[in-house]
Amino acid sequence: MTFVPMKTLTSAEPSAPPLTSRGLAKQRTREKILQSARQPFNERGYEGATVRDIARAAGMSTGAVFASFADKAELFDEIMASDYRRLEEEMAQAIRAAGAVQEALLGVFGIAYRSHVHQLPMVCAAMSAGWTRHPNTSPRSREALKPIVGLIREALQQGVERGELASDTDVRLLRGIIWEVYISGYRAAVYEAWTADDMIGRLGDQLRIILAGARA
Amino acid sequence: MAGIREQQKQATRERVLDAARDLFDQIGYEETTIRAIAVKAGVSVGSVFTTFDSKADILGQVMAERMAALTVELERVTPHLRGSACDRLSSLLAIHYDFQMRRPKLYLAYIAVSFAAAHDPEFLRMGTNPGLRAFIRDILEGAIARGELAADMDVQLAMETIISLYGFNYMRIADDFNAEALTNLMNRQLEQLCDGLRNSG
Repeated sequence: MTFVPMKTLTSAEPSAPPLTSRGLAKQRTREKILQSARQPFNERGYEGATVRDIARAAGMSTGAVFASFADKAELFDEIMASDYRRLEEEMAQAIRAAGAVQEALLGVFGIAYRSHVHQLPMVCAAMSAGWTRHPNTSPRSREALKPIVGLIREALQQGVERGELASDTDVRLLRGIIWEVYISGYRAAVYEAWTADDMIGRLGDQLRIILAGARA
Repeated sequence: MAGIREQQKQATRERVLDAARDLFDQIGYEETTIRAIAVKAGVSVGSVFTTFDSKADILGQVMAERMAALTVELERVTPHLRGSACDRLSSLLAIHYDFQMRRPKLYLAYIAVSFAAAHDPEFLRMGTNPGLRAFIRDILEGAIARGELAADMDVQLAMETIISLYGFNYMRIADDFNAEALTNLMNRQLEQLCDGLRNSG
């Protein structure tokens, strides 16, 4: 169900211990690499972008890149994780503001689509990597997607509590279905050159059908 | 003369596809080189490249052949499907999971390449198999004709949604799902979706 294998989000959190100046310099290097790596990934995809490309884009040696990240996978995961992390508060807000499940879910996914539509090659790279990487990365990636998956669960549970969805709704099953349909929107966007509005429109139609099977 | 050359080319093509299919499934797609495929097929690297554009092209044609074979098999089976749309879809997709999970590594490679940003426009991307799309469409339209589903339902959207769910479920291979587990998950999803198709509209 996951498509973006990502690391547990531990770095760069406010709870981290105070940084020394050396630590700060390290942090800045990390940030710089993360920023610079977007372009090669966007242009050449996950497999195509080499650590050498990324180092060149950041104006550093490959050694300096490896001093900050264990490998290309870790670097890539961190970029995708920070993208979702940035949107999390806005997504939570959309759920709180929504009157109905359909609206809540479209709010959450609309934010993701609008943000990701500008970097579809990168999203494609993420999807491709998600299928090819070693299966062991899977639990780790699930850990990282917990926040957004948690928001979907919250939206559905809210619907059950408000009596909009049946009390015996299989929230887990429904969440899985909705997640897969959401992800499939990226594929359509890439191959059919869709806009964010096209993606949101289609997802809305799909959600209407899916939720109709769970209405109270 | 041209006939013989054409026959030879065809024979090379078949040998390369057979060798590639086995190597992709046993060793892995990324790990398999064109050279290894040529050696196993007993042909030169050069002749591989005169028949195929790239490794992705070989994979695409391996999958296209497999799916064509599956489609022939299904054309025999589908007229005998009985029951509700949900039951028929369940049988159809169970056959697909059973078939693809005989070579799970090959199928995973296929999906991954399917998602990669750049590849040949002729590559039969996951979800675009015309056979599977037609079978699902037939089942949905049959259900509409029997009055089981609403006449004004969006058949295209329902088909696309079913195919998305079918395809993404393969992700569960990472959780050690086998064909049976994938079919069970798909059945639960289909029941939920069919409830939705009956209630919406």
